[in-house]
Amino acid sequence: MASEQETILRSADMTMVQLFTPSEQAREVVTALGEVGLVHFRDLNGNVNSFQRTYTAQLRRLDNLERQLRYFHSHMVKANVPVRKIDLDIERIASPTPLEIDDLAERSQALEARITELNESYETLKKREIEYLEWRHVLREAGRFFDRAHGNVEEIRQSMDVDDAPLLEDVEQQLQGGEAQDRSFTGMNIGFVAGVINREKMESFERILWRSLRGNLYMNQAEILEDLVDPKDNSKVQKNVFVIFANGRELLNKIRKISESMGADLYKVDENSDLRRDQIHEVNNRLNDVQNVLQNTQQTLEAELSQIAQALAGWLILVAKEKAVYDTLNNFSYDKTRRTLIAEAWVPSQDLPLIRSALNDVNMRAGHSVPSIISEVTTGKTPPTYLRTNKFTEAFQTIINAYGTCTYKEVNPALPSLVTFPFLFAVMFGDVGHAFIMLMTALALIFWENKLKKVREEIFGMIFYGRYIMFMMAAYSVFTGFIYNDIFSLPMTIFPSAWHYEPSEDYIAGHMIEAKLNTDGYRYPIGLDWNWHGTENSLVFTNSLKMKLSILIGWCHMTFSLCLMIPNARFFKKPIDLWGVFLPSMIFFQAIFGYLVIAILYKWGVNWIAEEEPAPGLLNMLIYMFLSPGTIDQPLYSGQSPVQQILVLLAVIQVPAILLAKPLFLRWEHNKARSKGYRGIGEGGVVHHAMDDVDDDEQEMLNDRQSVDTLDAAAGVQGVAGASVSGEGEGSEHEEFDFGEMMIHQAIHTIEFCLNCISHTASYLRLWALSLAHQQLSIVLWSMTLGSTLNGSGTGSPIVNGIIIFVMAGFWLGASIAVLVGMEGISAMLHSLRLQWVEAQSKYAHFEGWPFQPLNLTSLVEESEELRDFVE
Amino acid sequence: MEAGKSDNATTSAIWIALVICAGLSVVVWFASPKGPDRLVWRSVLIGSIICMYLMWMITYMAQLHPLIAPKRSDLRAEAFHHGGVSL
Repeated sequence: MASEQETILRSADMTMVQLFTPSEQAREVVTALGEVGLVHFRDLNGNVNSFQRTYTAQLRRLDNLERQLRYFHSHMVKANVPVRKIDLDIERIASPTPLEIDDLAERSQALEARITELNESYETLKKREIEYLEWRHVLREAGRFFDRAHGNVEEIRQSMDVDDAPLLEDVEQQLQGGEAQDRSFTGMNIGFVAGVINREKMESFERILWRSLRGNLYMNQAEILEDLVDPKDNSKVQKNVFVIFANGRELLNKIRKISESMGADLYKVDENSDLRRDQIHEVNNRLNDVQNVLQNTQQTLEAELSQIAQALAGWLILVAKEKAVYDTLNNFSYDKTRRTLIAEAWVPSQDLPLIRSALNDVNMRAGHSVPSIISEVTTGKTPPTYLRTNKFTEAFQTIINAYGTCTYKEVNPALPSLVTFPFLFAVMFGDVGHAFIMLMTALALIFWENKLKKVREEIFGMIFYGRYIMFMMAAYSVFTGFIYNDIFSLPMTIFPSAWHYEPSEDYIAGHMIEAKLNTDGYRYPIGLDWNWHGTENSLVFTNSLKMKLSILIGWCHMTFSLCLMIPNARFFKKPIDLWGVFLPSMIFFQAIFGYLVIAILYKWGVNWIAEEEPAPGLLNMLIYMFLSPGTIDQPLYSGQSPVQQILVLLAVIQVPAILLAKPLFLRWEHNKARSKGYRGIGEGGVVHHAMDDVDDDEQEMLNDRQSVDTLDAAAGVQGVAGASVSGEGEGSEHEEFDFGEMMIHQAIHTIEFCLNCISHTASYLRLWALSLAHQQLSIVLWSMTLGSTLNGSGTGSPIVNGIIIFVMAGFWLGASIAVLVGMEGISAMLHSLRLQWVEAQSKYAHFEGWPFQPLNLTSLVEESEELRDFVE
Repeated sequence: MEAGKSDNATTSAIWIALVICAGLSVVVWFASPKGPDRLVWRSVLIGSIICMYLMWMITYMAQLHPLIAPKRSDLRAEAFHHGGVSL
């Protein structure tokens, strides 16, 4: 099998290899293999927790480096410095040497210190700037209060003495009596507190002060018109200036405390207006100084950051690759005495030479005395499933993988799905017009695929990924639309119709008239006759056609899927699957539904009108075939009764055959082998598999050394011990034979199969339902928009008519694309997906494999979510 | 299809098309580009031929001996002179 060309039909042949590499060379070896991207390393340290593994220290260091780089990035975002992205198609980032990583780590350390310092000083300065700004506002606003308040000291004093006096009587009025201006507050032992507080807090601040001081205060406030910046998160805040007057030091202290606890900033303001002027002057000067320094600091910071921004993406990619390499190295088993790392890996057998040559390159480059060796190992483990794809099959394979991972080497459902999936879609989506829109979109996506793959928009990315599926779906839909004779719900009159109308002499327009079939045997050559369109009984005819079409196509699809059991049974050398499962299943299915299909075709082939016999209903025929075998209501052909009786009998016999043949045969085979003295390897005594699952089992732990010895012997490798082995999902192939379990399994399979034959056939009726819905929807859309506009006599004015038609055409096209192509397309695709996953795959595929996940440094970078911002 | 005797509906088209499709499939089988993707080419092209033949064959057969005829009541008298139907 290995000599044959590997195809999409089965997953690739896999080989397990052991890799021995001196520890000083291990990093380069893994990097080189990671660039090849075809080696799936097994975790040999499953029982060692991640902190105790060999390369934890290196990983910590890389984590720290990554954190520093992300820290730079966060500052770049804050300072709006653009990061240079890396185009992976153009720039190849060579794998770094350890020296480069060390350099990078050192440099990054230094840069971090510098950025932190700059940032800190920037923040301090910014804070100071804001303080000065606030102070200036307080000075200005407070100055205004003082100028006003000096005029009415009396008023204030009164209001403090008398509790029920209004806090502030009409200020404007008082100001007019300007004689009191000279009087000072100090004389009456009134002090004041001035500051700034968040506008939202103002109300509660006022209330708290009022309550705690029992109204013994006089408060003035003013809004700061410009927005201030909060240095913590650069957000904008609105603040108010307040000045509170109160009597006595204790009260003032209390006010101060309350203000501070409310988050207000208090500023010193001089009562004397001259001093205050000086103060303002000084604050302005300082503010200027601070702003100058601030600007300088910001420029330096930005210069520094934009320098880093040039290289940041490259560094992050390096670090991500390096981390992946060390993570892989942590899966290796370390032999301390020989300073050698031992790894086990799955590789595709076909690519073994490639991997060997990559390894040789590393050996040559490094020139170590001890080279790295790779050697094949025979094992009983189930290899991982590796399905090679190309850009056409990739999306189809993804659909299959979304359901599950195929068993190693079983027939890959992606191969038949290349045709059946898009075709079943097309049966539901048949409309030349809608399909054409879709086809053009798909072709555009394929034509400009190199440019468009850079677009990182999520929904677009999904559509782009499925562009070849879309192309296939659209291409088939053009064909099925042609068969249904639908273009935007209208018929195409390409060929002459087989029907014609012959009105009688007294025909009055508007009366029902029936078309006549031509007598020279002409039938509409391709697709549905356009004369069925728009007739009163068109649904009667198309429903009957589409329903039968669904059954026939469903039957073909299921029979074909069932037949895929044959290559599986032959490949895995299980003839019993062929004779014991496939054959009875096939007979069962054909006895019921194969017969139905033949009956449908036969009924179409007979000219019932010419024979002057009633056409029998096939559905009733099938039902009564089981309910009362032998009785025929309306005969389809002569000798129908015995044929049906035989078929029913044939179908019924198959049920015990499916149920019993396989388990009994396996039991017989098993007993025969035992009677000859063979025992299963797993039976009796301690299990000595070459590679055992450890599963935290102490017994197994003890066996480790022993099992590795057997392994080395098998591999022909001498003198390496200490590799402990574990596996993920790779159970050994020897299972103990359990007849009971086998019977239960087979009973479930039998019941499932027999019931599914019926329910799955019925399930294909969705093809009819969806194509009917699609057609009816597009008819409604047409007749409600453009159709009625074009048919109507119009208002007479050609300009108005033109505008109406233009608007309607726009609406019709928009709705056609959004609803009929977009939404109907998605719904048809989901239904087709179900038919692929359930109706087809359940017939032959087992999905018991586990995926091949090689270390691939290239795709790691391409697919990483975290590096998305840095990669083009 | 012995029913073909009673009227002269063209059943031969089904067999002719089948032969054409089989011939095309044989051509595709040998004309598919060699290489690892040969199986993909073959399955997609032959699969398409089979599916499209089926679809055509089913609609064609369904119209061979129709049990009902199109009926409509929205015809204008002038439609008959052109041999077509106005919508």
